[in-house]
Amino acid sequence: MLTVAPHLRTRRPSPTTVEYTVSTSPPPTLPLRLLLGLTILLRVTIGLSVLLLLYSKFLLSDYSTPLEPYSSRPQLQSNAFIWYLAYNLTTSRLGALFTHLATLTPPIVLLPASFTILYLLSLRLHTTESLLVLRGLGIQTSSSSSTFLSGSTTRFIPTEKIQDIFVNEAFRGFEVRYYLVVVVEGEESVVVVFPRLLPRRQILETVWRGVRGCLFEPEEKAG
Amino acid sequence: MPYNIAMVSDYFFPQPGGIESHIYQLSTKLIDRGHKVIVITHAYEGRTGVRYLTNGLKVYHVPFLVIYRATTFPTVFSFFPIFRNIVIREQIEIVHGHASLSSFCHEAILHARTMGLRTVFTDHSLFGFADAASILTNKLLKFTLSDVDHVICVSHTCKENTVLRASLDPLMVSVIPNAVVAENFRPLSHPAYPPSEFGNHMVPVQQHLGPHDTITIVVVSRLFYNKGTDLLVAAIPRILASHPHVRFIIAGSGPKAIDLEQMLERNVLQDRVEMLGPVRHEEVRDVMVRGHIYLHPSLTEAFGTVIVEAASCGLYVVCTQVGGIPEVLPNHMTVFAKPEEDDLVAATGKAIAALRSNKVRTENFHDQVKKMYSWTDVAERTERVYDGISGVLSEADFYGYDAADAASWSATRGRAGVQSFALIDRLKRYYGCGIWAGKLFCLCVVIDYLLFMFLEFFAPRDEIDIARNWPKKIRVENSRRDQRTFKR
Repeated sequence: MLTVAPHLRTRRPSPTTVEYTVSTSPPPTLPLRLLLGLTILLRVTIGLSVLLLLYSKFLLSDYSTPLEPYSSRPQLQSNAFIWYLAYNLTTSRLGALFTHLATLTPPIVLLPASFTILYLLSLRLHTTESLLVLRGLGIQTSSSSSTFLSGSTTRFIPTEKIQDIFVNEAFRGFEVRYYLVVVVEGEESVVVVFPRLLPRRQILETVWRGVRGCLFEPEEKAG
Repeated sequence: MPYNIAMVSDYFFPQPGGIESHIYQLSTKLIDRGHKVIVITHAYEGRTGVRYLTNGLKVYHVPFLVIYRATTFPTVFSFFPIFRNIVIREQIEIVHGHASLSSFCHEAILHARTMGLRTVFTDHSLFGFADAASILTNKLLKFTLSDVDHVICVSHTCKENTVLRASLDPLMVSVIPNAVVAENFRPLSHPAYPPSEFGNHMVPVQQHLGPHDTITIVVVSRLFYNKGTDLLVAAIPRILASHPHVRFIIAGSGPKAIDLEQMLERNVLQDRVEMLGPVRHEEVRDVMVRGHIYLHPSLTEAFGTVIVEAASCGLYVVCTQVGGIPEVLPNHMTVFAKPEEDDLVAATGKAIAALRSNKVRTENFHDQVKKMYSWTDVAERTERVYDGISGVLSEADFYGYDAADAASWSATRGRAGVQSFALIDRLKRYYGCGIWAGKLFCLCVVIDYLLFMFLEFFAPRDEIDIARNWPKKIRVENSRRDQRTFKR
């Protein structure tokens, strides 16, 4: 419901520029936005509680020094405020519950499980990959990363370095897939466009035609 | 009616060999006839992925484990997912497997039947019945061929062999011989191809051999036991001893090369026998035209394309009378010998004498061979087989009028002449293979079917892209064919 099959969106801000975006996110409607906001809220809540659980476990161990209570509330933008918050949380009823939970779970279970949960929470829901074509300049491929922790990877290839752009087929796992590649001059391996989504042939052909049409200057007729 | 055909075999280019070039030539000619053909083989070193050859022949080099002499490891089911993917994306209707030692081909035929496709199998080799390896291969062959639509053999001997090995109905086995590209095997004196527009039908001149001219005997073969290298080792010294003006040229490599070299050293024959080592297929003609006689001492041979090539080069052929060899060339081109030393020496002597007395018109061989063997003809006959199994030709047309009696058909056949795809019918066919084997085969088929269902669910058909076809040229042949139908 929250993701759809990879589909193509084309943006053409000027006649010599075109951007092809392939993504798994459905068109943003209001209910969808609300739903996405809700999932983010859920992620943050679960993530914070996992962190709190880990912290309570740490407090129970011998390595920790017990927190000292603050007499007055420290300034909002200071390190002390964080410790103040942590103390208040761990001494609250919620904190007591988490401490209880932490005593119940052995660290060998707690640590891998919580790290797995944290990793899963950091995964992006949608994959978005795009190809920006600027006539006379070159093309820029970009591919969103799988987690929220890192940004998207982009790569710019200047026109004079591009030897060819074509659609090819290759074995991948138990199937044969189509993919769009850019052959870059002086490089051993080719650059695969949309490497994570590997959209279907129809999309690739549209993009391929578009790039061919947009990237190179139309040849002037002689005379 | 054009078909989409997949040729499946372990053996394909870049590896050289008879089966490889057979598949290539047949595919090219079928494409010329308007069909769509793809080749599925395993990945060779430096040759992986999906490739196109001349004429738009698409080759899938599937990454697979190779165990012995370019044959992949026989895993009954692991090929299925990728095979299904290829078949769906290329919209294949007929799966044509080649070579009985290729596990790829057997698997493909099994899976193709499960998917409800027509299958054809071409057998290129003869097998014994006695040793362990043959028994195993024969059992495997029986398994695959229990449920194949049609079988093609390269010679009548091969047909007999296959029918016995796989207990087939002889009616579903056709004989379509190999062919040669005659243009690539022309004698030295022959005008080059293509013939010029002036229609220079140059009559080849007969070459006269005097009593003291040197006669060169050529041997082009892989030096393996089954190619009769031992026979060659025994015969060469005797032939050379009794005929002073004779030379040998031996091309090819293999485990028996060392025996040959030892023989040469023992008898000090290095100046009269030239060993060339391995030669590429396109260089074979250059080797052949250096000689007058082609000696083929093979112990077993289903067809023997090489002797056709030799005759096409204008060589007089001395060969052992084994397998399908006697069917291949007319009598005036060959001297036959029994596969034994004395007879081979005698036959070679006879051939030398015949050449010396200038009784053999070797210069005409090329044109005669060209008329007898052409790939276009092979493709035409193969197409007829495709027509027969897909029900375009009526049963009586395809199998002959006697066979049209329903009584002579096995009960498991569905509609006249066409194998039914129903699982229960297929199981019936497999069950008859043997007491234990039958049950084992049925188990395999059932698992294969379940796997198919599983794949249909988890890799749905509509998520597989349909591949684009190679853009076709408009055929020139069309008009010609129309004329022919008109004449009829």
